[in-house]
Amino acid sequence: MSTTHDRLCAILLKDFKVDAAALTPEVALESLGIDSLGTVELLWNVEEVFRIKLPAEPVRLLTLGDVVRYIDSLLALQDDGAAGGTLAPAA
Amino acid sequence: MRRVAVTGIGVVSPLGNSVAEVWANAVAGRSAVHRLEAPFTGRLAAPLAATANFDGAAHFDGPRLRMLDRCSQFALFAANQAMKDAASAFSVAGSDADRERAGIFIGTGMAGSISMDDGYQTLYGAGSDRIKPYTILLGMHNAAAAWIGIEHGFRGPNLTYSTACSSAAVAIGEAWRRVASGELDIAIAGGSEAPLSCGSMKAWEALHTLATVDANDASASCKPFAKNRSGMVLAEGAACLVLEPWDEARSRGAFVHGELLGCGLSNDASHITQPSVAGQAATMRAALRAAGLDAAQIDAINAHATGTQANDRAETAAIKDVFGARAGQIPISATKAMHGHLLGAAGALECVLTLLALRHGVALPTLHLDLADADCDLDCVPHQARHGLALRKMLSNSFAFGGSNAVLVLGAAPPT
Repeated sequence: MSTTHDRLCAILLKDFKVDAAALTPEVALESLGIDSLGTVELLWNVEEVFRIKLPAEPVRLLTLGDVVRYIDSLLALQDDGAAGGTLAPAA
Repeated sequence: MRRVAVTGIGVVSPLGNSVAEVWANAVAGRSAVHRLEAPFTGRLAAPLAATANFDGAAHFDGPRLRMLDRCSQFALFAANQAMKDAASAFSVAGSDADRERAGIFIGTGMAGSISMDDGYQTLYGAGSDRIKPYTILLGMHNAAAAWIGIEHGFRGPNLTYSTACSSAAVAIGEAWRRVASGELDIAIAGGSEAPLSCGSMKAWEALHTLATVDANDASASCKPFAKNRSGMVLAEGAACLVLEPWDEARSRGAFVHGELLGCGLSNDASHITQPSVAGQAATMRAALRAAGLDAAQIDAINAHATGTQANDRAETAAIKDVFGARAGQIPISATKAMHGHLLGAAGALECVLTLLALRHGVALPTLHLDLADADCDLDCVPHQARHGLALRKMLSNSFAFGGSNAVLVLGAAPPT
């Protein structure tokens, strides 16, 4: 099974114009051309791909690694049954 | 007041996506009205439209495209084309003061209605709460104007006009006023509309204003001024003009498509849909006053002529009221028979066609006018374009639901 990093990179490569070679955990989202508005869209796609529901609380995500850790934390919470709830399967 | 030159034109429309293509199709009298093929057309009583042959993916990359409703895509394409055509001295690298004297004026009736329709489909159709994060940005009425401002670095007034079917004419008229008054040195003005979603087409259908399908020829379904006219055909597209002070445009050697001489605005203040003869006549008179012209100086008219019973009858009476005994001698073109009704962009495309008609000395044809209507007994240039006319000044009429009327006065550019 591919890692969270790999799955996130797949979204970035598909939907955003990013250079594959730049996709390291340390890279800043801004430097990939993803500003705060772009992050909103990225997270919207993350919900779909990872089948998680993001909490309403704002979160500060500066690097690709930040997003990976955020997703992993939500996945862990979800496995514990304590997250905001999983998404219903797509119709 | 300064004279105002049109130095750039851009179009994306059912008649083509360049000035040359639009003009060739218009002069030839080719109707772009057709049976609409879309997943929802089985739900439409009369699945007709005039569509633009335009794929946004061919012009905008993925991240950009996802932020642009089809309406904004059209507007940006048309504005970019118009700016390239104008080749003005304006530069995004110019001074703040110069950039603040550059304004944008866009008309749209329904703006990002396709994106809103998509959002409602997600929410209510699919029962999902996962509405796209950019829905507000896609749907908001000022999106098209905002994107043009970002693209071209215009930092002056960035205004969106939504007065239903006169939106673009209002926008162009307001831009004219500000360039003429000296407030602005350059303006991009026009309109954009992308109304061909299921929700909007059903809503128009419910109002009983849309044409029925002509049984013999779907492309002949919109029949302005004809006795058997049955309504309008919805269309999509955009047109933008670049406006500059006449003297500056001439001194820099710009090609001038024509002159924007004035604009008249008025409101029927009578009924939300029924057109008012007095209101339409008052608007034409206001336009003539703004241009400092007498009715006798108008050589031809591009009519609003939607193909509804009420509009075409009222517009005929209004033209008679303004032009008196001369009304029957003025060529009156109803080009919506060809390009359909672009709603909030209609006034911009028709303004472009009027400028081209002036430049080429051609009265464009009113198609499908086989059965004359005694209530529409003017010279409507039936079937075929009329060439070799000495056209110096024309009106382009735009009338709207809500009674918000706008009439533009345009002039041919004398040879340099």
